[in-house]
Amino acid sequence: MTYRPTRLEVNGRSVELPGLPDDERLLDTLRWRLGMKGTKEGCRTGACGACTVLVGGESTLSCLTLTKELDGRAVTTIEVGPEDAVVSRVRSAFSAAGALQCGYCTPGFVMSLAGRLRERGAAASREELLEALGGNLCRCTGYASILRALDQLHRGAP
Amino acid sequence: MTTPAAPIRPDGEVKLHGAALYGTDLDVPGMLWGALVPSPVAHGTIRSVDLSSARALPGVVAVGPDDLDRLLPPGPRDEERPLFPRGEVVYHQQPVAAVAAPTAAEAVRAAARVRVLIDPLPVVSDLESIFPDWPGPEAATSPHVAAHVHARHGDVDAEFRRADRLVREVYRTASVHQVALEPHACLAEVTDGRWFVRSSTQTPFGIREDLAALLGIPESSVVVEGTWVGGGFGGKGAPLLEPYALLLARASARPVRIALGYRDEFRLARTTLPTVVRMETAVTGGRIRARRVRLLLDVGTSLPGRDFATGYSIGFLLGPYATATFDIEGYAVRTNKPPFGPHRAPLAPQCAFVVESHLDHVAREVGEDPEEFRARHLWTEGDTTPLGQTVGPFGLGAAFARARRTAERWRREAPPGHGVGVGVGFWSTSTGAGGEVRLRLTPSGVVVEQGEREIGSGSVLAGLPAVAARSLGPPRERVRVEYLDTSTAPFDSGVYGSRTVGALGRAIDEAAVDLRARLGERLGGAGPVTFRAVGDRLLARTGGRELSVAELLTPEERAAGGLVVGGRHFGRPGAVDERRVVDGTFYAYRDFTGTAHVAEVSVDRETGSVRVERYAAFHDVGVVVDPASARAQVEGGVAMGLGTALTEEAIWSDDGELENAGLKDYRIPTLGEVPPVEVEFLEGYLGAGPYGAKGLGEPPMIPVPAAVALAVREACGAHATELPLSAERVARALKLL
Repeated sequence: MTYRPTRLEVNGRSVELPGLPDDERLLDTLRWRLGMKGTKEGCRTGACGACTVLVGGESTLSCLTLTKELDGRAVTTIEVGPEDAVVSRVRSAFSAAGALQCGYCTPGFVMSLAGRLRERGAAASREELLEALGGNLCRCTGYASILRALDQLHRGAP
Repeated sequence: MTTPAAPIRPDGEVKLHGAALYGTDLDVPGMLWGALVPSPVAHGTIRSVDLSSARALPGVVAVGPDDLDRLLPPGPRDEERPLFPRGEVVYHQQPVAAVAAPTAAEAVRAAARVRVLIDPLPVVSDLESIFPDWPGPEAATSPHVAAHVHARHGDVDAEFRRADRLVREVYRTASVHQVALEPHACLAEVTDGRWFVRSSTQTPFGIREDLAALLGIPESSVVVEGTWVGGGFGGKGAPLLEPYALLLARASARPVRIALGYRDEFRLARTTLPTVVRMETAVTGGRIRARRVRLLLDVGTSLPGRDFATGYSIGFLLGPYATATFDIEGYAVRTNKPPFGPHRAPLAPQCAFVVESHLDHVAREVGEDPEEFRARHLWTEGDTTPLGQTVGPFGLGAAFARARRTAERWRREAPPGHGVGVGVGFWSTSTGAGGEVRLRLTPSGVVVEQGEREIGSGSVLAGLPAVAARSLGPPRERVRVEYLDTSTAPFDSGVYGSRTVGALGRAIDEAAVDLRARLGERLGGAGPVTFRAVGDRLLARTGGRELSVAELLTPEERAAGGLVVGGRHFGRPGAVDERRVVDGTFYAYRDFTGTAHVAEVSVDRETGSVRVERYAAFHDVGVVVDPASARAQVEGGVAMGLGTALTEEAIWSDDGELENAGLKDYRIPTLGEVPPVEVEFLEGYLGAGPYGAKGLGEPPMIPVPAAVALAVREACGAHATELPLSAERVARALKLL
């Protein structure tokens, strides 16, 4: 049997991960193997949502996901470029609403909303968008400005 | 031509693209990963710390108490705060050694290989186990007491004897954690006698001073550079990991990163610890005649002489209420927990909960309307506080009146089973702590050069440019903030105490006045200098004469990158009326600011679960410097206060172990639990900041638990005397349990 390294597509770029340990988490692969620090490490127990990324378009806690199980999958992170129209839309809404303070939870909020918008598109209701943020904690904003961004996304849904 | 509006968050783009690097993100080639070796018990005598098995692992560096003399200069080190304890460990997880290894996993493995032998000693976990009753005079010399404060005025006993009514209550408040989502993290390098650390800190200069003392090296050899800070809330104002990272970097001759896992973030970070408060109030003829206040404050292993919290917080227990005759006394009680540390408005929300709940209860006992009763006793401008400070311009009365009008409307609109509460609080902005900035005028704009990093509130990146634009006059988008490390930045005290825009804003204002005067001379015109931006150039005009800034700079200034002018602000500290002080050190509040909040809650009559339905916040701020940031501070502070009010409670076992170290068991408010917050600012009661601004970082936290508790009482009759108002506590107050 020939060894084939795990492959991922990260933000549209194909990466090979030779020597990947079986127990490495996606969060650590992104941050320390690929040097992509945009995805933040918070609690590492799935309680804060700061590490949320998209896997195959679906929002996923990278701290609870083993990289090896994602062979061949597409991963989208907060570093994705403007070619990702959904993430760009969420960014614009957050920027216009000033929906961040320290910014540590921000990548997780953006990716959680992007995942739901990608899944539900124009049909996403306000409740569905709210529900998508149920696992994201923010300590600075009191969520108020984030909800203003969310309302903008909801009203502006294509 | 219209100027495009500045974005609400100048750091929005960098943060929304994942490009902001925090302390946890630091990573340089050749870096080692550090880990602390924790004490397995909360109290014990160290028999041995054996590093040999850890050192036998490839690539591992380990340091313990015996290595300090070898690794550090011979200069005196702070003996009170050794990096590693030699005799006793005094709290669970206290670092007894530290290791570094090429990977995170190897560092964890190496730390586990260190053999720590400790003979356990009895653990003091609960302050009430030491002082089940109020301590007598002998307590002042007890080894369990780190500080004692006592002040009084008038004859309390005589007033108590002749009072119409005397109300006595006991309150308890829980330990709460800052829960910045970014845990503590830093990266250290030691090269050529330069001890360099990058850290997500609120106080680069404060850390420099402490590191010099802890490590016994000159301050000039220590360089601290701030990173983006993933939330501070007071928890990142003192060194925690930095001395260990530097020590390991020195031992390994490699850069060393240390970042806490979130569980350890809970266990090691310094934060607010439990209190027990006794409140006694005498009322005669509808007036408060005398008050006796007793505070027992758990300060963990805070050292005698280093307790700041007791003399600071006890004044909040009197509240912003006229009290001619009083006797207040507090003990800082040592337990086997990490030392007490500041948490956004340290203890003020807890104290406001106690005093508001108590005076509400007192009013009910004497048959008065509770809000009317409190309003009647509020401080107003010109009053002297119990500790002898004069109250300056103070918008609390106006804020309270606005809050009461909102409460009346909500009461009319509220469905049955809902309750509405109004809580008030005061705060004293710490503009007395000093700071300096430099303004650099370049051909294209203005740079604010300083040493603080943005911690999220917007005070550095939105507040300081707003002041520079207003005081100097260039369009705001032409003002940029530059961060410098402590070797090049002008000194500043730190981003804490709601002081940043106040103190550094005053420094900027001073520099701006100087800069405008110099430009005015160079332009030779009369009247104020104004600016406009044309293309990438900045033009200055006065009295009809306009030149580009490039033309106004001398060749030397152009070569040096601009005209640089410094500004500084070192405010006057307040004073306490020492005639009223019996013992200890009290904090002199000054630059008073007031806030009144309204909460509407519903209470589940079967479970005791509280839901906050509506919320409104009225704040005396002097003037609003940056409207969007100001509103965001209030919204965020209210949410944090709701956590203190309802769910947040760090729980220690009898063995001194934190039982709920993690975000699953220590619950902060989630999106669905925070109601919309109506925010209103009352301007015109001017304070010590630029244009009369007052601090706003901490005040929004303060009245929240009080407003919620009073709303709960109105909703269901439960008179809560403990924080947080968990479902269990409310159920108990309702006699459901």
